[in-house]
Amino acid sequence: MAAWDLAISVEDLGPDAPPVTLSVASDLHVGGVILKLVEKTQIKRDWSDHALWWEQKQQWLLRTSWTLEKYGIHADARLLFMPQHKPVRLCLPSGITLRLLACFSNPVFQTVMGICRMLNIRRPEELSLLRPIEHKKKKKAKDLDEEIYDLTEVPLSSASRPCLYNGMPAHFADSSQMEAIYKMLSVTQPPPAPEVIAKQYRPASVVDKAHIHGRWLDSSRCLMQQGIQENDQIWLRFKFFAFYDIEPKYDVVRLTQLYEQARWAILLEDIDCTEEEMMLFGALQYHISKVSQSEPQMMSSSAAMDDLESALQSLEVKMEGESSTASEMLETMTAPDLNDYLKIFRPKRLTLKGYKQYWFKFQDTSISYFKSKEESIGEPIQKINLKGCEVAPDVNMAAQKFLIRLLIPAPEGMNEVYLRCENEQQYAQWMAACRLGSKGKTLADSSFQSEIQSIRSFLAMQKSSSSSHGNVPASDESINTHSLVSPRYHKKYKPKQLTPRILDAYQNVAQLSLTDAVMRFLQIWQALPDFGLSYVVVRFKGSRKDEVLGIAPNRLIRIDLGVGDVVKTWRYNNMKQWNVNWDIRQVAIEFEGNVNIAFSCVTADCKIVHEFIGGYIFMSTRSREKSDTLNEELFHKLTGGHEAL
Amino acid sequence: MDDIDAMFSDLLGEMDLLTQSLGQETVPPASPPSTNKEVNFSIGFTDLNESLNELEDTDLDALMADLVADLNATEEKLAAEIQGLKVPSPPPSDLPPPPTDLSTHPASSYASPTSPASSTGSSVSTPASSATSPIPPPQSSKPTKEEIEAQMKADKIKLALEKLKEAKVKKLVVKFLLNDGSAKTLMVDERQTVREVLDNLFEKTHCDCNVDWSLCETNHELQLERTFEDHENLVEPLLAWTRDSENKILFQERREKNEVFKNPQNFYLWKKDKKALKDIKDKDKELLVQENFCGTSIIVPDLEAVLHLKEDGKKSWKQRLFQLRASGIYYVPKGKTKSSRDLVCFVQFDNLNVYYGKDFKSKYKAPTDFCFVLKHPQIQKESQYIKYLCCDDARTMNLWVTGIRIAKYGVSLYENFKTSEKKAAVSSVWTNRSTPSSSNPSTPSPTIKAKSPNQANGHAPTPQPGPISADFGNIPPPPPPMAEILPPPPPDPAFPPPPSLPSKGSPKPSLPQRKLPTNFPPPPPSMDNLPPPPPPPPIDDAPPDFLPPPPPTSGFGSLPPPPPPMSSLPLPPPPASFGRMDQSLPPPPPDPEFLPPPPPEPVFTGGGGGPPPPPPPPPPPAAGGGGGFPRPALRPVGSVKKMPPAPPKRTTPSLQGGGGDGDLMSELMLAMNKKRGAH
Repeated sequence: MAAWDLAISVEDLGPDAPPVTLSVASDLHVGGVILKLVEKTQIKRDWSDHALWWEQKQQWLLRTSWTLEKYGIHADARLLFMPQHKPVRLCLPSGITLRLLACFSNPVFQTVMGICRMLNIRRPEELSLLRPIEHKKKKKAKDLDEEIYDLTEVPLSSASRPCLYNGMPAHFADSSQMEAIYKMLSVTQPPPAPEVIAKQYRPASVVDKAHIHGRWLDSSRCLMQQGIQENDQIWLRFKFFAFYDIEPKYDVVRLTQLYEQARWAILLEDIDCTEEEMMLFGALQYHISKVSQSEPQMMSSSAAMDDLESALQSLEVKMEGESSTASEMLETMTAPDLNDYLKIFRPKRLTLKGYKQYWFKFQDTSISYFKSKEESIGEPIQKINLKGCEVAPDVNMAAQKFLIRLLIPAPEGMNEVYLRCENEQQYAQWMAACRLGSKGKTLADSSFQSEIQSIRSFLAMQKSSSSSHGNVPASDESINTHSLVSPRYHKKYKPKQLTPRILDAYQNVAQLSLTDAVMRFLQIWQALPDFGLSYVVVRFKGSRKDEVLGIAPNRLIRIDLGVGDVVKTWRYNNMKQWNVNWDIRQVAIEFEGNVNIAFSCVTADCKIVHEFIGGYIFMSTRSREKSDTLNEELFHKLTGGHEAL
Repeated sequence: MDDIDAMFSDLLGEMDLLTQSLGQETVPPASPPSTNKEVNFSIGFTDLNESLNELEDTDLDALMADLVADLNATEEKLAAEIQGLKVPSPPPSDLPPPPTDLSTHPASSYASPTSPASSTGSSVSTPASSATSPIPPPQSSKPTKEEIEAQMKADKIKLALEKLKEAKVKKLVVKFLLNDGSAKTLMVDERQTVREVLDNLFEKTHCDCNVDWSLCETNHELQLERTFEDHENLVEPLLAWTRDSENKILFQERREKNEVFKNPQNFYLWKKDKKALKDIKDKDKELLVQENFCGTSIIVPDLEAVLHLKEDGKKSWKQRLFQLRASGIYYVPKGKTKSSRDLVCFVQFDNLNVYYGKDFKSKYKAPTDFCFVLKHPQIQKESQYIKYLCCDDARTMNLWVTGIRIAKYGVSLYENFKTSEKKAAVSSVWTNRSTPSSSNPSTPSPTIKAKSPNQANGHAPTPQPGPISADFGNIPPPPPPMAEILPPPPPDPAFPPPPSLPSKGSPKPSLPQRKLPTNFPPPPPSMDNLPPPPPPPPIDDAPPDFLPPPPPTSGFGSLPPPPPPMSSLPLPPPPASFGRMDQSLPPPPPDPEFLPPPPPEPVFTGGGGGPPPPPPPPPPPAAGGGGGFPRPALRPVGSVKKMPPAPPKRTTPSLQGGGGDGDLMSELMLAMNKKRGAH
């Protein structure tokens, strides 16, 4: 066979170096070409990750046993010899950017699997990559400032099957820098400064949200084919909102990143919620950031407990400790009480006397009051059981007003009672006591002290936010409540107005552990009516206007753009089949009962819609499958489209 | 009536004497313990006497029977205690006298049946507590000194705690109205859930035990009605009733209680047309339940409707567009969009219950009679704090009431449903069964369980009048239902004997032991193997020691086989409990949410080494199963037999000193918390 010249650019020689020319025959296989090429460059290094990229065809020549003829390569082919793994700047849901090696030659689905393996995120099929939003003004300078965590040194091989060491994949245990990176991955970020939230891009409408979903990369093609370049920024996000088998013990990074994504979705109003819900989200964020600062080790210690032996041991130790205190506890079991002079006011009573001072005694779950301390041995003037009552704060630090508003249930309705405290200290104690009492707990409850603490820290928040305005939150004590809610509420409320509202919501979550608090946050997020909806602007067949298709884990909804109302809902379990006509870019779906719909996609490629639907169907098959291995083939079958077949 | 009252005070007096003779109960015999009228804020049936007065003679008869049975049990317990060495005496003196404001009296008299019961019963919230009661037999014969000391100490503490707990338990005599106009009366203590009470009523009424049976509260004055959820405590809401209240408790089938699980489409796809909903396939129903109740988050039906609202204290009804969300009910203010951020919160559910309104058209001039109400459970009379809502039709009303229940109670509803489904299934099997197993404490039938523990032993030796034994079972219900949640604690069979011992006036110390043999009639040798666990080998090994008992019991074919229930019950206990420990870091105080792991389980685990519930193996192998060591150890024990088994009940903790220590301590913790929480 006749030999001809084939020019190949070798990336490692530099962009300006001329292509290396080889004399080849058409029956030479790709492996042979690479061998010749490497010999000719005379560079000694590990070439194992390198492969040939055919520029015109946008295709990797990965089958080294195929001949050039079989690939259809002629002398005019522009080939590039380069590594398959290249660094990218990966933006995590937490907003932090990692620099790591991603595979540019495999389908994105596998690239994501590789990334997740490296980061120790289970269930990689729920995540995918998307192109970042272009900044309107090229703020290159700002981008460079950004701290980037570098993971490019992680050897590719070690990411194959992470063996856990001290609760984290071994490659994170190599050095303290790496450990720091893992900590960053697995610990929630502190609340962002309000200005940071305000500066972020916020989708203003459903259409804006739809545009974001047009950015998803195609799972069945590789990064190279989708125009991603070395060192480009791409986002890693949860794409399919069907979170399977969350296990806090193994899913530390997964949960943390999921929480971050949810948190930002709330802060940026990517998903709508009510004001009450926003306050609860704010309270949970506050609690999570507080707890994660105080117990940063929950991750690794939980992994240590893997060992049954050590678990038992710690159990034993704990029991010993308890047994020694048990008798003491018994002795002190007369429930502790609070006694002090407070002022009381009953707004509903017809007296105009205002606040009157009495000697108050808090015991068990009740408040009693007496004329004076001296008379406190006898019958109280009144005894109020707080169980089931509502407790609301009314505090103004500047005016030194410390009021506890109680709404106490009685057969005839609710009785309003205000208690006025003299100072912060007194207020924190009595407020904490009232809170416990309303839940039917006594002061002996272990949460009493922490309740006092949290009330004080909220008071501190109010103090600092009223005095030092607009400062970046420094310590836990002086967190700005604007950091916990979306910008809409920045305008509506001042931080000190927000504080009591968040505190109010906080009392219901203050006792949660870190993991429970994160889970609670996710649960409330998932219970929002719009949860899990990915939007695409579509044009239904026969319709003259654009409408929005919402794709949820279990259904499709059709939304009228004008009113914003859901017009129609179709559930996947009623779906008989769906097809994509790739020529006219139209998706057609048939449901049971002879319901047929067809639409073309406006803001996203129809491949994206196809992948969403197929992906969710794939997600729903997981539960039935016992095996833990990911059925990659099925995923591609369901999402691949014509390329896959 | 007077006669009965007199009888009662007699009885109470007798119980008092008994308790005092022990010198432990510093409890004042306060007969009408109702000193605690918490000024204007809690009234009602706080005291037993009062509620007794409400009763009719027939009810009282039944109740008397219960109490007599109870008394017997008390005596037995006392007997056991006396014999059970000096253990109990000191602790109470350390204790602060139990608060006088509670109905201490009946409670303390109750002690014996309830004390095991109490710990178990309360376990709905505090799982570990079940540990205490059921571990009788394996009193180790020769523990080391420290162990003895430790055990003693633990015993005392535990005992004291139990006493305290008991002293504080509120009990009410409750009359349940049946559909046919008749009524049943039960004593209900504050730790009992509605589920447990229902189980008792099943026993009493012999109804089919289908999932629709419910307890409903009616409020006469407000014309309201509410079905209790199975996981709620019954006593608490009743305490909110006013003294003059004409409220009632009904025992009825209520379809709407579990309708959402039978026809979820009507709630989750309510917007679809009715025909489509009717034709829905079972598979799709299942999927809907899965989607909405089995995920990481409970999904509340997405309801939106124009409802009529009667505003605070006003007479008119105003229309508003309401939306239900997991976080509460909202309305769309005039001139605003339906977007979430514009919604105004109408109510959140933390402190409110939802009630059906009856006949509001005439009472409040409501547009229709399909009304529901949201109010704090303590509010009993008309008040501006009650929210009245009126729907256009019954369907809308049911949608909303159910939706609110889902938002308020979440996954508990589904768990309740599953429990009642199981109960229904088992009881239908049960009714077809032959009698022999009826006496079996650990029968698979959860319903039966309600009484079985006592009954089982109770009737064997002492021919009691039928009805009595039955009632008896009803009284200390806590333990049984427990059993149904948990795998029946293995020791169960051994433990129940004492309480049931019916010897009335004469506490015979030795009785319990004798009892045992009678209960486990077959091979005396095996008996030896059974209860006495070998003296504690290394602590780690302790669990295995416990193992032997259960299998043998089951092995004695004639005996009530504990194993079946186990296997039939969902929890393969041991692995589960252990696994859980690893996962949730703080191991000892088991989270209240984790109902299942009863302390005894680990016992199995350790011993079995392998898969959980040892199915009935023949006795010998079983003994061997515990490991090589138990054998030799057992021998000596056997000889001492008479001694150790006797104190079982009270001394139980000591047993734990060996291996199950954790249970005791965590139980202790829980008990403490509970105690604190209780008041």
